[in-house]
Amino acid sequence: SRRKRARARHKPCALKELEVSVSELGLGYESDETVLFRYCSGTCEAAVRSYDLSLKSMRSKRRIKKEKVRARPCCRPLAYDDDVSFLDAYNRYYTVNELSAKECGCV
Amino acid sequence: LCPSSLLLLAPRPDEILRSLAGPPSPPGQDPHGWRVPVDCVRANELCAAEPSCSSRYRTLRQCLAGRDRNTMLANKECQAALEVLQESPLYDCRCKRGMKKELQCLQIYWSIHLGLTEGEEFYEASPYEPVTSRLSDIFRLASIFSGMDPAANSKSNHCLDAAKACNLNDNCKRLRSGYISTCSKEISATEHCSRRKCHKALRQFFDRVPSEYTYRLLFCSCKDQACAERRRQTIVPSCSYEDKEKPNCLDLRNTCRTDHLCRSRLADFHANCQASFQSLTSCPGDNYQACLGSYAGLIAGFDMTPNYVDASTTSITISPWCSCKGSGNMEEECEKFLRDFTENPCLRNAIQAFGNGTDGNLSPKNPSPPVTLPPKTEKSPVLPDDINDSNTMYDTSIITTCTSVQEHGPKLNKSKEQSLCYSETQLTTDIMPDQKSFVNQKAGGSRHRVGRILPVAPIILLLLQV
Repeated sequence: SRRKRARARHKPCALKELEVSVSELGLGYESDETVLFRYCSGTCEAAVRSYDLSLKSMRSKRRIKKEKVRARPCCRPLAYDDDVSFLDAYNRYYTVNELSAKECGCV
Repeated sequence: LCPSSLLLLAPRPDEILRSLAGPPSPPGQDPHGWRVPVDCVRANELCAAEPSCSSRYRTLRQCLAGRDRNTMLANKECQAALEVLQESPLYDCRCKRGMKKELQCLQIYWSIHLGLTEGEEFYEASPYEPVTSRLSDIFRLASIFSGMDPAANSKSNHCLDAAKACNLNDNCKRLRSGYISTCSKEISATEHCSRRKCHKALRQFFDRVPSEYTYRLLFCSCKDQACAERRRQTIVPSCSYEDKEKPNCLDLRNTCRTDHLCRSRLADFHANCQASFQSLTSCPGDNYQACLGSYAGLIAGFDMTPNYVDASTTSITISPWCSCKGSGNMEEECEKFLRDFTENPCLRNAIQAFGNGTDGNLSPKNPSPPVTLPPKTEKSPVLPDDINDSNTMYDTSIITTCTSVQEHGPKLNKSKEQSLCYSETQLTTDIMPDQKSFVNQKAGGSRHRVGRILPVAPIILLLLQV
């Protein structure tokens, strides 16, 4: 139902995971190896602080005009997973660090 | 324990006396383990608690330091010490691969056995406990992944599938990345990599990751060259295997024998992979698992590391990085040593059997009870010295979690199974909907479901009768 879909989109910030091939990562590596990609997804409504409300108010009162500011917390990795190594299509090993999230939070 | 086998061994009178005297000090060597050898670290503790044993042991160690067997035995005191120690638990103590204090255990083992062996022997006895687990145990655990990705089977690059299975397991991924990054890290323009650190990282990988992951990477079966090349690349051979020069194999063996760990792993390889013409599989005791385990153990064994020599898909040729050039009058012995790698039917059959998913266990086996794995164990569990438990060292906490989830949540769909191995929170959310759904369903295929519904049936029958 529509209501259910709407609720699904408003899940709180959490760690999710996907199995992806290394080529799909878009980092320029060519490899069929599959890695686990963990990412942060969800909303941060519960983490809104006085800071965010005040900033929003300053912006609407045009006290802040030209600067780029963000008046809501953002669901981002707090820590990253260990390195990931793989063999590419040309039989060369590569190691990528900070590829995957380990812990998420509203910051 | 079969009493008749004990009789057949016909113990000498002094042995009977000793066994009557109490503390176990059995003559080991029996592969069926009618008496379980104690590990050497423990045996050392037992010896240290006994003044006569500990003083003789100290004497022997001094005798052996920097001397060969013959000069040592020329000394009366040394000879007496050795004779006394043959009666102690130190005499037939063994070590476990990947155990805590493995190096210390091996040092203790060789400190006695260097005095016992008749100089330089071609094959030495293995200081490791015999492996009693079978390949089928690994296949059973590996079947966790079997239904993972049907698309992968059509392309059928088993080595790529093995890499995927490893990447999706946090422990395997971490230790694999650990050795790959260590082994491919350039140090300077002249030094391509740190071989020593690379071997150490590889050793950690093979010791701490369960064999259903490591064997899959190492012994995957291949139909095309890309797959075979990936298999050859598993251990990062440019750092761990290849060298500027190829030393003579006997020189390499001598270098290996100066190191307790390398010497032990080589002796273990010889004990478990030596081609035998008495068995159908060509392996001692038809035990493929033991051979593959010893092979994997040797990879970390410094310069004796074996690998596939090429990316051929049809024939599997394995060799350490050495040749028999410059063997002089030892040519024959060198060739014999090398053939145990390059033309070893046991090793080849074991690798092929693993690739095909068959076991070498041809003798009828009792239906094994459902395996109950111990709850979360540390990386080197201190186990009771029971031979039957020796395969437990391959089980890490991670696989334990996965399998216990399998046992408790029987109706989980395959795609979710591997994700269950990662997070505890997901675990509960995934099981809950299942429990709800099986109450609603009337027809039950699963053992668990039947178990829940059956107790209700007699009550309904009773009600009907009334």
